[in-house]
Amino acid sequence: MNEVIGIIIAAVISWLNFVLIDTWMGLPEAPGVKGAEVIGRNIKKRGGDLAGGFFQGNIVCSPDASAGTLLASIGCYLIGTPEGGLIAAVLVFFGNRLCADPGYAGTTGALTITILIALTSYIGLTPIMFIAGMMIAILTIQGLYHPASSKLLGKIAQRMGRYTEIE
Amino acid sequence: MITEIVGIIVLFAAVRTLIAQDRSERMLYLNVIGFGMSALIALYIQTPFGAIIAITYFVASTLSSNAIAYSIGRVKDEIILDD
Repeated sequence: MNEVIGIIIAAVISWLNFVLIDTWMGLPEAPGVKGAEVIGRNIKKRGGDLAGGFFQGNIVCSPDASAGTLLASIGCYLIGTPEGGLIAAVLVFFGNRLCADPGYAGTTGALTITILIALTSYIGLTPIMFIAGMMIAILTIQGLYHPASSKLLGKIAQRMGRYTEIE
Repeated sequence: MITEIVGIIVLFAAVRTLIAQDRSERMLYLNVIGFGMSALIALYIQTPFGAIIAITYFVASTLSSNAIAYSIGRVKDEIILDD
């Protein structure tokens, strides 16, 4: 497959993978670790959404599904398709516990992207495309304009019934 | 080509980090750099151990981000009595 098209498809798959799993695991509901609350409230102060801010704070402060997606892609690229993703999932699990994060978002994200990489290898997507795709996906959330991205994440959280009850 | 894409994203985030006004805002851009550095380590050290290094680097960087973000919250609550 053409590399550019492959990277774009991989970016969309990675974006959906980490946003849906993180929202489903309740990242926008509450700051899982102490630092996430500070970042979430700061994003709200700059004109963003509090639930989206907690989501972004949780991404910064603990390895969640976005980290799982990138690290499982790296594992699949350098170690091999199922086993590299599994090693990444175990290391992300240790990282969650080191950050005192009680959730399983990172481990779940790493396992689902490993399955997705294995399935999409049949249509010609390679793990290296997922590395670039995940970089583009994280740039759209964390690197462009935080008030807009937090509002989008807040809307997705509302749709999935995971909006924060903290004021 | 993959390395160039990741490199451009890291440079973009680095410039945004430099011009950002707010400390917490800077943490978000630094997080993008953390993702990018981890990807660059994997793309540069193309051995199975490179993957372990990249994963360990990323987990350790989130650990320190957590500590820094927490201390930013503490510093905001701090009352300076001297001035």
